[in-house]
Amino acid sequence: MFGTYFLPRDLHPAAWWVWALGLATAASRTTNPWLLGLIIAVACLVVVARRGEAPWALAFRLYLVLAGFIVTMRVVFRVIFGGAEGSTIILRLPEIPLPAWAAGIRLFGAVSAESVLGGFYDGLRLATMVVCLGAANALANPKRLLKAMPAALYEVGTAVTVALSVFPQLAESVQRVRQARKLRGGTGKGVRALRGIVIPVLADALDRSLLLAASMDSRGYGRAGVATTRARAATGALMVVGLLGVCVGVYATLDGSTPRYLATPVLVAGLAVAVAGFRAAGRRVHRSRYRPDRWQLAEVVVAASGVAVAVVMFGTSRVDPTNLNPSLITLSWPLLSWPPLLGVLAGVVPALLAPPPVLATPEEVPA
Amino acid sequence: MIRLRPRSAVVLTLASLAGLMMFVWPLLVRVEPQSMQHGPDAPFVFIGILPILIVVVLAELSEGGMDSKALAMLGVLSAVNAALRPLGAGTAGIETVFFMLVLAGRVFGPGFGFVLGCTSLFASALLTAGVGPWLPFQMLASAWIGMGAGLLPRRVTGKAEIAMLVGYGIVVAYLFGFIMNLWFWPFITGAEVDYYSGSISYVPGAPVLENLHRFVVFTVLTSTAGWDTGRAITNTVAILVVGPAVLAVLRRAARKASYGESGTFAPAGEPFSNPVRARPPRPPS
Repeated sequence: MFGTYFLPRDLHPAAWWVWALGLATAASRTTNPWLLGLIIAVACLVVVARRGEAPWALAFRLYLVLAGFIVTMRVVFRVIFGGAEGSTIILRLPEIPLPAWAAGIRLFGAVSAESVLGGFYDGLRLATMVVCLGAANALANPKRLLKAMPAALYEVGTAVTVALSVFPQLAESVQRVRQARKLRGGTGKGVRALRGIVIPVLADALDRSLLLAASMDSRGYGRAGVATTRARAATGALMVVGLLGVCVGVYATLDGSTPRYLATPVLVAGLAVAVAGFRAAGRRVHRSRYRPDRWQLAEVVVAASGVAVAVVMFGTSRVDPTNLNPSLITLSWPLLSWPPLLGVLAGVVPALLAPPPVLATPEEVPA
Repeated sequence: MIRLRPRSAVVLTLASLAGLMMFVWPLLVRVEPQSMQHGPDAPFVFIGILPILIVVVLAELSEGGMDSKALAMLGVLSAVNAALRPLGAGTAGIETVFFMLVLAGRVFGPGFGFVLGCTSLFASALLTAGVGPWLPFQMLASAWIGMGAGLLPRRVTGKAEIAMLVGYGIVVAYLFGFIMNLWFWPFITGAEVDYYSGSISYVPGAPVLENLHRFVVFTVLTSTAGWDTGRAITNTVAILVVGPAVLAVLRRAARKASYGESGTFAPAGEPFSNPVRARPPRPPS
């Protein structure tokens, strides 16, 4: 068994998602910049070590750029829209007075270190989560995720997967359109430039969707199921009756003057019937799986490492939460303690213990 | 593209009704003495129920199977929406996600608008780490926005159409803020702002009108003028500036895709005939 463990293969995408969501969950528990930076480093290391050559694997850089953008924007917004919580004023900008009804919005004015730092911590946390998701996108094959959707949501799930994989292509499309504009000497600014970029990008994306549809058709997508008229009627009836039950149940839950047996029991029963209808709707989709992804030891290792990071971080925030969220009231260097540090390092495991991806052009030819 | 059959319409209406109750529940709770009251824990129950409702509606809408072109279009437009959303970062109400939703719903119809609202917000949440208990509520609210845009009168064209869409965008901006506030309001009970002396917090079990009055004061004071107006301005400017061009691009794609027509095989022995019917070119509008 161990002889075949390190043979190159694509892991089950869910394993990478579990690993990445574990890291992201851990990131959501802390604003300590050291820990967040470490999580980013771990994600980058694993991605560099275990990504393939597919386009989605190369899109990881975009996520890093996006992360940098998020941090910058958060800080800039703190400066522009009121950043004077705290006492350490580091910058005094003239404030633009707004009428009182523009509640909650203030333009410029004094800027405090606390508020800028708060924006930085917050932004860094969000950026770390974005990087983790980017890592999952780079490592997991999104097309294989299709197989994991519940059958009734097959179409919608496919649409979401298409959206996620088209997203990085949009940036590339923007670059192409801008280059073409430059080549033509288009130097317009303002509204015209905006229109000159937005419209071609949109048209490009829509054309691409038609290409995608054509390729899906040619691969046999959209085979109608074998559900009989009666079965479909039963599915619809289940859904309608279930939703009626939910409506009555929700109303009765809220209105104390209706009899109690209409509340929770009807709500639960309605939900159960609706879910049964949902499952019945999934039965129309009969799809055999070509080379199904199997859940093997390597998948367990990868998923467990992500879960371990999340669990350690949750445990630490229960026991010793002080260093996870550095204080913004008294400014000092954030401290780092051993348990969360080691916990985050557990996320490196896949870089060493996951089988390498299948590469079209092997980097080194074994002698 | 995604046709609303009568049964889908019924399912959609029922789910919308239940969803609406989950949004406006603070106004509905009526305390009866000595009755088991579910007021305080209701919102947490709803957070669990709403995703199931959305999933059921989506399953019903795609029940007959979805056209591959509709599906690819849905995916690409969701990606565009998801890319537009972080541009504004939600700051000061600069929400860039809604105008595309309105335009796409207008071109592709209510069913598509509903599903697009759900998938856009879901994809965007996956990309921006915005997954949380608020996500189903945002999904349902923007699904309604897309559906409403598809239900606007079809006959209006040209400048009048843009004017109508701008008006719809403004109304929707305020409604979205109102309804999301309404859902969120009880979670910050006890909210007091120093420039308004009266209490604006939620009182469980107070008469509907009194709570509604408190809520209106709360939302006008805290967000209508600032955030919702920002959203309305974003919608207006975006629809005015790029609206006509985007509409044209979307309609061109819809025409090219010729939804609802499927290729057929000619019976054996007959000469091949082009199954795609030629369409007369549209007069420029």
